[in-house]
Amino acid sequence: MADETAASAAAPQDSRREGIALAVGVAGWIVPGLGHALQKMWGRAAATFLTVGLLVILGTGMRGNVFSSSGNDAFDALGFLADLGTGTFYLVARSLESNGADVSHARGDYGTRFLATAGVLNLLSALHAYEAARGRKA
Amino acid sequence: MSWGMGFKLSHLQSLLLFAVLISIAFGFLSRRRPIDRLKYIVWSLFLFLLIGVGIGWAMYPFSR
Repeated sequence: MADETAASAAAPQDSRREGIALAVGVAGWIVPGLGHALQKMWGRAAATFLTVGLLVILGTGMRGNVFSSSGNDAFDALGFLADLGTGTFYLVARSLESNGADVSHARGDYGTRFLATAGVLNLLSALHAYEAARGRKA
Repeated sequence: MSWGMGFKLSHLQSLLLFAVLISIAFGFLSRRRPIDRLKYIVWSLFLFLLIGVGIGWAMYPFSR
């Protein structure tokens, strides 16, 4: 009987915690590092913000390809998804690439990889923040 | 490196920058104590460079 009462009381609390964790994960995706900052994990927040930001700046500076939603094939779509992983930094990348992409040189190709890595790294960080908010990681 | 029409990094500079940034992010995300983070960053950086240069040399016989 006592177990049932405790279980029914814990269910809304778990649901609320799950909702907060989801919001933290989404916040971490939209602004790199925000998910950790909301949990006062300042070192991880700063590291995520700086590394993702630097990768985006370097990637666009090396004239990497910032993929758009109007891609021609599956690789373009995958590239767009990876770039979108940087959240608002995707818009920064779009505004920084004033000269357009140039993947005819190795550095442009490297820049494309830098941008995709920034997105995937930010998604990994957002997932880490989400798990930490659920109490599964620290 | 030049800051004119964009960053002109050599292959090695690109590899180094990439490895340093990713190692720092991995170190901070996967370890909590500063000393553990530092160890992880150094070890991860070493492996990135070792494997990157190793793959470069492994491709050398097929480059021409």
